[in-house]
Amino acid sequence: MAVPEVFNTIEQSGLSRWLRESPSIFGFYFVLLFHTIGMSLVVGANAVVDLRILGFAPGLPLHPLKRLFGVMWAGLAINVTTGLLLLTAYPTKALTNPDFYVKLTFIGLAVYTMSKMSVQVFGDPGMSEAAMIAKGKVMARLSLVFWIGAVGAGRLLSETARYFFYGHPAGG
Amino acid sequence: MNYEHLHLLLNHFPIIGSFIGLGLFLVSFFGKNEDLRRASYIVFVGIALITIPTFMTGFAAQQMLKGPDVDALIRRHESSALLSLWFVLATGTVALIGLWQSQDTGRPSHGNVTAVLIFSVLSVSLIARTGYTAGEIRHPEVRTGGVVTAANSAVSEGPIGALIGHFEPDPDKFSDAMTFSKWWWTFMMAAHFIGLIMIVGTVGLLDVRIMGFFKQLPIAPLHRLIPWGLAGLGINIATGLMAFAGRPENYVFSSAIWLKMLSLLLLGVNAVAFYLTGIFGQVEKLEAGEDAPFAAKLVAASGLILWFAVITLGRYIQPLTDTLMGTN
Repeated sequence: MAVPEVFNTIEQSGLSRWLRESPSIFGFYFVLLFHTIGMSLVVGANAVVDLRILGFAPGLPLHPLKRLFGVMWAGLAINVTTGLLLLTAYPTKALTNPDFYVKLTFIGLAVYTMSKMSVQVFGDPGMSEAAMIAKGKVMARLSLVFWIGAVGAGRLLSETARYFFYGHPAGG
Repeated sequence: MNYEHLHLLLNHFPIIGSFIGLGLFLVSFFGKNEDLRRASYIVFVGIALITIPTFMTGFAAQQMLKGPDVDALIRRHESSALLSLWFVLATGTVALIGLWQSQDTGRPSHGNVTAVLIFSVLSVSLIARTGYTAGEIRHPEVRTGGVVTAANSAVSEGPIGALIGHFEPDPDKFSDAMTFSKWWWTFMMAAHFIGLIMIVGTVGLLDVRIMGFFKQLPIAPLHRLIPWGLAGLGINIATGLMAFAGRPENYVFSSAIWLKMLSLLLLGVNAVAFYLTGIFGQVEKLEAGEDAPFAAKLVAASGLILWFAVITLGRYIQPLTDTLMGTN
């Protein structure tokens, strides 16, 4: 399968080259740092809500945890932004790697579960905690599985890349 | 300044500290003194923390100190450290679990006390050997007759040393075991991220609540999530050390990793400020809507900043890889 020429065009752009090649500490690794921080916010806050629904820290009131969804969406916004920048830096490397689509699928499923939980479990302030837990249990389990899948697939990216750049296959 | 100096600065703490911890623990064990037991547990946790940079500086120093007549001795010391490290960390972990149990019942469970007894005796024995094998590298005057005569010759051992030596991993084989499979390496790295998420989600949330955000959350039940964060920390210490021992050349020349370890030690100080100065007792009672005292907010904010530093420095290990080349 031919690698689309447009990846090369992106890689030759000023922004892409700056992200990859700038010796500034605010270049590539700065974007990567915020991608990591965004991940810890969206997954960390989501995991706390999941664990509470699954019965841990039972003394923690459920309804106020609704505010943690704001943290999750903020983390997701950071990661969409930084993710697009990372994609600008290495379009060929990411988009020719099947694992990249595995990661995106996991993220899609996790975010869908997150928004569903936000509406169906935390949307009604009058709902009892018992009803919230009954309604959220399956979603909480799936959420943890999807996020672990997303993190695992993300870490596997560097090991499974088929190209470093346009026209430069990864050796071996 | 080089790793050898740093290692020499740190390396007496794990050994002397382990003996002090064991001494306190044994006195508390036979004297049934709960305060002494608590003190010994805190010492074990602190020693586990300080053993991490001690091991790492030693591993780094080893890269620098390869001479014709010390190789076999260094190798033996490194093997010994690679075994005692895990027992010292396990002792600290079991002690931390005991401290957590003591919150509710005033004392750790019988099973926990037994586990601490077994692990602390084992780790003191093993770390004593690690210290002994180090002494023979640095102090030729104490070497017993014919310990080493030529490069790479076998080191002669007494019966106990030979027995323990049997369980000590060969450093090169240990490194290879960490890196031979990209799946195992990826698993460690993914686990390191999961651990990070567990820490940020629980410890980070508690810090932020104490600082005055999410005030609808009462503190005591929020604090019940901390074992998840501590488990995350345990995962990250284990996977971090395995990665470090697997590819030391990736890490030892990066200033970021050492600043990260410094931040980790400062987080230990931060935990002492939180739990051992009465601040925790004050915030534990806070119900929904109640504000924490200023001192508590200060400790929580500094903890959060230090975690941010740990994450940032971790991400900058790679680009700063060459920043220490010239200093050794």
